Amino acid sequence: MIAKIRTYINRAFEDVPRTKKSMEMQEELISNLIEKFNDQLRLGKSEEEAYTSVIASIGDLSELTEGMRERHVLSGPTPQERKRSAMFVTIAVMLYILSPMVLIVFAQNFAAEITGLAGMFTLIAIATGLLVYNQASKPRYLKEDETLVEEFKEWKSSRQKNKSIYDALSSAFWLIIVAVYLYVSFTYMNWHYSWIIFIIGAAIQNIVKALLEMRGEHEK
Amino acid sequence: MNITSDILRGHTETIILRHLLEKDSYGYEINKSIQEKTNNQFELKEATLYSAFRRLESAGLILPYWGDETTGARRRYYAITPEGRAYYQQNRKDWEDAKILIDTLI
Repeated sequence: MIAKIRTYINRAFEDVPRTKKSMEMQEELISNLIEKFNDQLRLGKSEEEAYTSVIASIGDLSELTEGMRERHVLSGPTPQERKRSAMFVTIAVMLYILSPMVLIVFAQNFAAEITGLAGMFTLIAIATGLLVYNQASKPRYLKEDETLVEEFKEWKSSRQKNKSIYDALSSAFWLIIVAVYLYVSFTYMNWHYSWIIFIIGAAIQNIVKALLEMRGEHEK
Repeated sequence: MNITSDILRGHTETIILRHLLEKDSYGYEINKSIQEKTNNQFELKEATLYSAFRRLESAGLILPYWGDETTGARRRYYAITPEGRAYYQQNRKDWEDAKILIDTLI
């Protein structure tokens, strides 16, 4: 009879994803129903009568099973998080745009290119820092339940995060390359060969990318 | 009797919290005590009871944990949280107010 109670509950949860939550829910229900069944027997009921009254008292389980299904919706960022993230990105972009201004102002008015350059790199560094922080502090998609789907979602979310950090760093890198190119060219007036900086930049980026991927392979 | 069960069902969560105020407990024990207190007139359906547990749990009003029974199946116990206590007090007050109102109306 106890096996029959177990079967009854398992059947009610048949089309619910087999997550930790739903398994625990079934275990909880079954253990409570068995206790109730044993109590009924102690009151002098026959096994058949006890089983019938236990099952009759369960009621409609669909509300419970529906709730277990709904939990599988992927939750996105809240409006608040989105707002915060947008603010960080806006400030960072603003700093990128403003950064050459520092160089121009210092170079033109005070003939202090080095100070100007330092100021420009500081702004770029702050902007990049903001972008990286913004990505790194985004709530990671946490596993809701231990199923394969959830693991896949988590894997995908962490991959996406790595990619956006990489993109932010890469765009900052190229801005720095442009800045170095302009600075070197203006200072030494060597426009005819200073463009080699871009090729060196591309080489550096590809080497870094290769190194990162090698490390990624290694971790797997 | 039907009207009574409808009203009672609307207070399932408060009834559970009231029981957990005294001590940590599990589903069947709570239902049994409801039966005893009402002289076998009222009993919650399991579906109603466990749905209420899920709601209370996700609202942070109760905290589940597994018991360490050595014989038979594991029991899932629930403990009331400070938020749960506050929620119970509020519901209790609401009920007192409603009682006075309904008494003056019917």
